[in-house]
Amino acid sequence: MTLNVEIKRYNPEKDDAPHWESYEVPADPLDSALALLLHVKWHIDGTLSLRKSCAHGVCGSDAMQINGENKLACSVLVQDLVDSDGATVKFAPLPAAPVIKDLVIDQSRFFEKYREVKPWLINDNPAPEKERKQSPAEHEIIEEATKCIMCGACTHACPSTWASPDYLGPAAMLKAYRYTFDTRDDGEGERLDTVDSENGLWKCYTIFNCNEACPKDIDITRWLSALKRRSAVTA
Amino acid sequence: MASRAASTSNAQSWFLHRITGTFLIFMLITHFWVQHYDQQTATISHDVLSTEQIENDVLPGYTPEAEAAVEARFGETAEVTPHDVVMLRLADPVYAVLWKAFNILFLIVALHHGFYGLNNVMSDYIRNPMARKTAKVLSWSLALVLFVVGTYSVLVAGW
Repeated sequence: MTLNVEIKRYNPEKDDAPHWESYEVPADPLDSALALLLHVKWHIDGTLSLRKSCAHGVCGSDAMQINGENKLACSVLVQDLVDSDGATVKFAPLPAAPVIKDLVIDQSRFFEKYREVKPWLINDNPAPEKERKQSPAEHEIIEEATKCIMCGACTHACPSTWASPDYLGPAAMLKAYRYTFDTRDDGEGERLDTVDSENGLWKCYTIFNCNEACPKDIDITRWLSALKRRSAVTA
Repeated sequence: MASRAASTSNAQSWFLHRITGTFLIFMLITHFWVQHYDQQTATISHDVLSTEQIENDVLPGYTPEAEAAVEARFGETAEVTPHDVVMLRLADPVYAVLWKAFNILFLIVALHHGFYGLNNVMSDYIRNPMARKTAKVLSWSLALVLFVVGTYSVLVAGW
């Protein structure tokens, strides 16, 4: 099949504003969406910029808006996007982030928020000889949250992020959940003080856009609700 | 559970918003039922028109008992209006205190729920911190005014 691939292009050195460009791309229904972009870059227009690394849904670098929804380009198949020859697939950078070039966004704000929640183990007790242990049942509590690959699809799918650039966003707060509910961690107080703020948890209106966008099917809203409850009982 | 710097916390407001939301479901149903549909709880109730009456352009009215009760309280020439019927309920010797308490609680719950939601919307759209703070103070002041006016109205109604 041949698809009409439309890409939102933007080169800050040449363009005043982003614009759409169309490319005819031969495709197999079992190709990934990323393959369409790589065909454009390798065979049609080498100036196209995009992020990708592992191409297997692990590194999380190719999150972008595909046909209006935030997805990982490597983890979505052509057959799940279109069903007929000549159909259109549209690629745009993740919304609500500054665009560096084409599909590459500036992620510095995203990672600043990530660092704000202190995404590391806080425990001042001397480390045991081998390791800080955790039972399978204790790990189960945070198991799903540890699967986050920090692609940013959720945070950039959230209307609270669109409305407020300072909003911590689901990805950072999911990380706060992951450490707050880690039985080996002692940093609950300082982490909750960060998420229990004007730009934190209470701007989550539970609309589930983050769940829809997550390529790892993490029930982000559920874990943020657990974090809200913990904030409410400790405040 | 760790100790927290509670002064910056917004958790209690959020929690109250959940609680008031739950209360509102039941209170709104009660409110609508009593005001518009009930035949038992209210002292006086509306006439329910039959299909034939509607076809014959009959206007909704009150039962003879309702008209008699309103006339007994507001004079022979009084017309029976929904307002009079509500006033009668709030003047009921037995249930007035209950209804007044219900209405005041309903008012508090609705005001908190509504104004917390409004403040969320405002904080989404107002970027400037000073403007945001001003909007917050103004909106909660308005809520306070509405609370005072509403509570006063409920307290003096029928008494």
